[in-house]
Amino acid sequence: MAEHCEITESLKVFRDNFNQNERLKKMNRDWDRVIAIKATDIDSLHTLTLRKGDLSLREGASETPDLVVISDSETLADLFYGDVTPTEPYLNGTLKIQGSEDDIIRLDFISLMIWGE
Amino acid sequence: MKQVVSVSLGSTKRDHQVEVEFLGEKFAISRRGTDGDFDRAFALLQELDGRVDALGLGGLDVYIYVGRKRYAIRDGLKLMEAVKHTPAVDGSGLKNTLEREAVYFLARESGLIRAGTRILMVSSMDRFGMAEALSEVGCDMTFGDLIFTAGIPYPIKTVEELEEIANKTVPEMVKMPIHMLYPTGKKQEEQDEAKVRKFASYYHDAEVIAGDFHLIRRYMPDGLNKQVIFTNTTTRGDIEFLTKKGAGCLITTTPVLSGRSFGTNVMEAVLVVLSGKPPAEISPADYLELLHKLNFRPQIIHLWEEK
Repeated sequence: MAEHCEITESLKVFRDNFNQNERLKKMNRDWDRVIAIKATDIDSLHTLTLRKGDLSLREGASETPDLVVISDSETLADLFYGDVTPTEPYLNGTLKIQGSEDDIIRLDFISLMIWGE
Repeated sequence: MKQVVSVSLGSTKRDHQVEVEFLGEKFAISRRGTDGDFDRAFALLQELDGRVDALGLGGLDVYIYVGRKRYAIRDGLKLMEAVKHTPAVDGSGLKNTLEREAVYFLARESGLIRAGTRILMVSSMDRFGMAEALSEVGCDMTFGDLIFTAGIPYPIKTVEELEEIANKTVPEMVKMPIHMLYPTGKKQEEQDEAKVRKFASYYHDAEVIAGDFHLIRRYMPDGLNKQVIFTNTTTRGDIEFLTKKGAGCLITTTPVLSGRSFGTNVMEAVLVVLSGKPPAEISPADYLELLHKLNFRPQIIHLWEEK
């Protein structure tokens, strides 16, 4: 089990990697989305907000997220640190993502563009 | 008579059969769709295994070649497990050879593809050979994989960047269910209206639109200005669709048999029978030799004539 602060740190790493990647920012200038990250085994909520290609992070919930990423704390920390890719946990049900299929695929691509081989 | 059957995850509406002769050998070739029903495709492959001379898998790739790397699509491998006795191919072995040759032929013999031609490849990670050959010719490339598959409005302009992005994304994408990445079944008859509207300018700006026909069709806007469509699997209905959209010319890399061009998987299955070798032992050079013997050429159909 990971702690809330570990998830926060992993999300900061993810945010920083995104914001330092000019190509990724350019790719996503048209995609304004609010993404909630929720742990199932501890009390931990975060919100990632993508606006005009910039990604910001805050602790706590969002009232109207476009996507909700739900998993156990360990998987969430692994995911945002880039230790695991989202595909396997998504397919085996450990990771649930609520949102449109197009948005889910796009989020998956962003993650792979940051952490892929 | 040699029997070749293509089992496809695509729509049954595209089913077709022909009898044709290649290098003195008679073939009965048929295509059987399963409307995106994976279990039905698996059962049909099991039923045909050992009863026909070669099988083609359509509607999905089993392997994707990116540069020198080969990636296996998980759903494709699962389908292949249904076949134990009959040689079965997905077309990827031939695609790399046939589509390269088609590009070189068109660059040499027609004015349709030349240095500087603006080409949109709606999908290119599934036909890297075509992407590389078009770039070698000097075409002005737009690889639309991120645009149309992921909805990311980022045109990839070079094969090097395509390869870099493919190596980051394809190893994971191949694990995803095929319906998330590629239109199967009834989706093949529909258009993605949101993406058609959002990304129409990529089609309108191109002189040639190339790649998988189902993807080309899915995102094609109205009001084309006589663009050339460079693809493989098309039916008479597809030709009507393209004409209505304003396309000027259709080039298919596989030969037209009884009014339609079959998928690359079908033609690869035919070549496997002609070669008499197991698919794993057939090299690109073998395919090339057979293609030359068969005198396969891209088929060019003009859809628009000046009145």
